[in-house]
Amino acid sequence: MDSLSRTQQLSLVVLRTLIGWHFLYEGFTKVLGPSWSRAGAPIGRFTAAGYLRGASGPFAELFRGLADASWLPWLDLVVAWSLVLIGLGLMLGLFTQLACAGALALLALFYLSWLPTSGVHQPGGEGAYLLVNKNLIEAAAVAVVLAFRTDRIAGLDLLRAAEPAPRAPVAEAAR
Amino acid sequence: MNLTPEQQELGRRNFLRVMAGTPALAALAAASAIEGPLRGGPVRIGCIGTGGQGRVLLEQTDRQFAEIVALCDINPLQLAKADESLAKTNHPPAKHYSDWKEMLQKEKLEAVLLASPLFLHAEIAIACMEAGLHVLSEKMMAWDVASCERIAEAAHKNRRVYEVGHQRFYNGVYQAAYEGIVKAGLLGELYHARLVWHRNGNWRRHIDMPSPDYDASRWGYPSYDHLINWRLYKKYSRGHMAELASHQVAVAEWFFGANATAAIGSGGVYRFKDGREIPDHTYVTLEYPGGRTVVFTSIESNAFDNYYEAYYGTKGTLILSGEIDAFLFEEKGASTAAAQPKATGIEITAKGGPVGAASESRAADAAGSAAGGGRSGGGGDRNLAYKNEVSGFCAAVRTGVPLKCGPERAMGSARACITGFEAMDTQKRIEIKV
Repeated sequence: MDSLSRTQQLSLVVLRTLIGWHFLYEGFTKVLGPSWSRAGAPIGRFTAAGYLRGASGPFAELFRGLADASWLPWLDLVVAWSLVLIGLGLMLGLFTQLACAGALALLALFYLSWLPTSGVHQPGGEGAYLLVNKNLIEAAAVAVVLAFRTDRIAGLDLLRAAEPAPRAPVAEAAR
Repeated sequence: MNLTPEQQELGRRNFLRVMAGTPALAALAAASAIEGPLRGGPVRIGCIGTGGQGRVLLEQTDRQFAEIVALCDINPLQLAKADESLAKTNHPPAKHYSDWKEMLQKEKLEAVLLASPLFLHAEIAIACMEAGLHVLSEKMMAWDVASCERIAEAAHKNRRVYEVGHQRFYNGVYQAAYEGIVKAGLLGELYHARLVWHRNGNWRRHIDMPSPDYDASRWGYPSYDHLINWRLYKKYSRGHMAELASHQVAVAEWFFGANATAAIGSGGVYRFKDGREIPDHTYVTLEYPGGRTVVFTSIESNAFDNYYEAYYGTKGTLILSGEIDAFLFEEKGASTAAAQPKATGIEITAKGGPVGAASESRAADAAGSAAGGGRSGGGGDRNLAYKNEVSGFCAAVRTGVPLKCGPERAMGSARACITGFEAMDTQKRIEIKV
């Protein structure tokens, strides 16, 4: 990590934190349910059924089939808690590489289930995408975080390292 | 512990590196507290009183907002009908009770829909709030002013949501009329409102006893007639003023932004001299600050006018008819002299449903004497107002969003209507002192 400037290190950690926030909050709202908006609208318990039924692209049929699976509630639970745990991992820098791998896996699934092949604005979507959408971009960002080993820059993983962080000043002072 | 300044600096930096994620987590918690969703499912509700009005509320309860857990009524026939209402609207069956105190004890409720006879409102509402439950009470707030005050106090003391079912506050026609016409000043100076609820039918009901040995005295009624026709006897009821006028007066006070200061009344049992104590013809005038006057009339001998509220201003007249239509007429000489009625563009719905069949507002209509029933034109959906009312109450329970007809607003109308009834009863002008 010495080869990276402080600004570069900071940028990578900020990127990791932002991605972590995104995952954690997505997961948080899903495990919270049922819930209510502050404006007084009820929000039902999270289920991926609607998302899966709207699947598009070459793998659409596969994902649509999941929407009616009897074990969908379990899948919902796994998705929601995975988001939470991955988000926490990225934000705290704890099991960072594992969290990155998990994030990549989820984002790959999200991308493949709604693969943007039409190139036009989809109902309920935020814009028009052709092959590249926000899921893919976020996955690329996670790949960067993974490749640059941000676990060695900042976060609780430093406490888990072979040479604990608090010893560093002593070692450096003795040099 | 002896650390060199370099060691201290390095140690501090290391600590900060390890803690890098923590501020973001704190920010997340803060953001969640400010804007995030609030945990909780549908509000667990019990319904006390499953007569016509109770069933209207049940049928307009959205399952996303509320779960009907228990039903309570002293009349098993009404409970059976309520079961049908729940089934019709895809609610799961609810447990039955004949004693509301037992229901409160045995069920883990969060709120109650209260649709009992008027004279019981205060006792039940206060007990529910003391037990930690929120209350959506049917109109009127209570039989007497002191009870209204005790209810408001109980709501305040126990920090419970208490709302009175004046559903016009949840009716889009009224909201639009207030925002777009009254508040915008299109009526000019407003001195007079006429509130009309005219019907041509007998308010007395004839309903079979649940069983030949049914004993109404068990519930404190001297006879079964008193139980089903409680609206016709003074110890239980405030007649037209409670069942009909309180809705319209609540809106008049909303539009005026003021409470009544005095009441004058006349009326009596003129047509149906069958032993009832409550007048079948009611004429009450309510005075408001600034020389404004509301005149309410309710008769049971002619339904030509049906029911409406008319607001007469120096620049225009606003008529809100049957809770579904709104008309605006400009006064001659007003800015754009278009004397044609302007109906709201809200689509009318063909729904009859429980509102038409059961609500006191349609009791005479149910007797087959409705006037204006074939009226066409723009309008709203009365059922939707009830639905919004129950949903709005549940939202207030869960998230604290403001009520549209909480204790203060309901109290103003109740005070005016109770005083109006007393003025009619005593044939006197009575000042209202708050």
